[in-house]
Amino acid sequence: MAQKAGSFDKDVIRELAALLEETGLTEIEVEHDGKRVRVARGVNLTTTLTTDLPPADPRESARPAKRAPTQSEEFIVHPGTVTSPMVGTAYRAPEPGAPPFIEIGSKVTAGQTLLIIEAMKTMNQIPSPRAGTVISILVEDGQPVEYGEPLAVIEQR
Amino acid sequence: MFDKILIANRGEIALRVERACKELGIATVAVHSTADADAMHVRLADESVCIGAAPAKGSYLNIPAIVAACEITGADAVHPGYGFLAENARFAEILEEHDITFIGPTAEHIRLMGDKIEAKLTAQQVGMPVVPGSGPVEEIDEAKKLAREIGYPVLVKAAAGGGGRGMKLALSEDELEPAMLTARNEAKAAFGDSTVYLEKYLLHPRHIEVQVLADGQGNAIQLGERDCSLQRRHQKLWEEAPSPALNESERVRIGELVAKAMRELRYRGVGTVEFLYEAGAFYFIEMNTRLQVEHTITEMVTGLDLVIEQIRIAAGAPLSLSQDDVRVNGHAIECRINAENPHTFRPSPGTITHFHPPGGLGVRVDSGAYAGYTIPPYYDSLIGKLIVHARTRNECLMRLKRALGEFVVDGIETTIPLFNSLITEPDIVDGNYDIHWLEKHLAKLGARGKS
Repeated sequence: MAQKAGSFDKDVIRELAALLEETGLTEIEVEHDGKRVRVARGVNLTTTLTTDLPPADPRESARPAKRAPTQSEEFIVHPGTVTSPMVGTAYRAPEPGAPPFIEIGSKVTAGQTLLIIEAMKTMNQIPSPRAGTVISILVEDGQPVEYGEPLAVIEQR
Repeated sequence: MFDKILIANRGEIALRVERACKELGIATVAVHSTADADAMHVRLADESVCIGAAPAKGSYLNIPAIVAACEITGADAVHPGYGFLAENARFAEILEEHDITFIGPTAEHIRLMGDKIEAKLTAQQVGMPVVPGSGPVEEIDEAKKLAREIGYPVLVKAAAGGGGRGMKLALSEDELEPAMLTARNEAKAAFGDSTVYLEKYLLHPRHIEVQVLADGQGNAIQLGERDCSLQRRHQKLWEEAPSPALNESERVRIGELVAKAMRELRYRGVGTVEFLYEAGAFYFIEMNTRLQVEHTITEMVTGLDLVIEQIRIAAGAPLSLSQDDVRVNGHAIECRINAENPHTFRPSPGTITHFHPPGGLGVRVDSGAYAGYTIPPYYDSLIGKLIVHARTRNECLMRLKRALGEFVVDGIETTIPLFNSLITEPDIVDGNYDIHWLEKHLAKLGARGKS
């Protein structure tokens, strides 16, 4: 029984993986006979994104939004989104007046500083999780940011 | 007064503090983890900041994140609620270093009362009774003499002990010698040190605690006692004020003693001094230097809002009332509604499908729950508190029974059925219970369920 379930999963995953290649999608999720399989590829989503996305809830749309969705919220589902690991104030340059770390279109390497977040008078450098191109910057210089807030989108090349 | 208060907590207590802030015209900042983005305390606050991931270590216990949240929102004070960072002296110090007011006692008082040995010594110095005990004892004749002074039953305890090891009970003098021998052998085996001492053992103690309010300027008043004897594994489930066990002279005596001690310590804010009570005598256990879950029943019988008083004191105001202004009216009972199986107490996180809190005269529900709310599995299981108030204890019990019957929480398991059964127990109706009563009762029910 267990073995049967195992082979079922393997086959389904192979099939879905092929489908990913074919369609160019980054993620597919299917449910069949009470089993759910999700196959994703390409860039790594941060753990915060995969585990903490709220479940789809029909009430969600009926509930009055606290504020209108901003541009930054649309990007939260983009797999290349870099989110803030802490609460603080975001700075785009190493010091006032200096050129910013990144601009839209900048090529970055993995580990390269994207911006700085100040928390409790400490400057924390936020590194790029991957090499790629900056396609969007979602925070202004000096903007307060929350934990998990999208900061920038780096598309893998 | 403060312009903006950040509430470093979640659930019903965050909501409770928000209500006080709103009545004082103070703006509120809620902080939350990623798991609590839809929580009621977040939805009702003026501003909210996500401070970290679901586990409390990354969010509600994350001091740098909370300080950063104060900085980005411009909050000038922090209310810690209970649990999490409420009794963390370092947190209080860090806030003061950042010119943010910690709504609570001084870091020194938190530290003093957080150290159990120091707290007991301090309690003795300011005249509070403690459980009588001895220093190290070796000779059996000396032990017999000391035990007679303390009064039987006595507990023989390992000086290096902990976790119940090296601990033996002697109900009478005949049992003292074997108890000493066993305790010494166990202590030697477990801790490599056979030193033992004696302590009075209470067979049927009640848990009685006194609520205090002090301004740090030398003024302190007491707001009467609460009886929290109905506990399971040291978790209080049912609390009432006043205690059905104390008489008026005992009540006045312990209250005055505590108020005097707080004046001597120049304590600041709200606090609770906990005692064991047996046969007319009180024995200090510990002091909690924070607002407690069951502060609500004191509010019901005194008509005072303890959180508002806490905030005023933190802003530097002297006490707004004197001891003579405090009147205890009627009786109040609180039941803790936990998301737990009412028989096994296994946590029951999940989505609440229907939620209907009871209402009517003298009924208060403090809860962050609502229909559609999903209880995250990361935090404690308290989802609300049902508090009832009436002119007498009998009226209060009838009102509680009525309110429990109205309370609907569907989709998860709660402790409501437990309270429905407790309220028909003659011992509960008579107020005849000690700190062991509930566990014995549950064991009896469990045994009956199996047979």
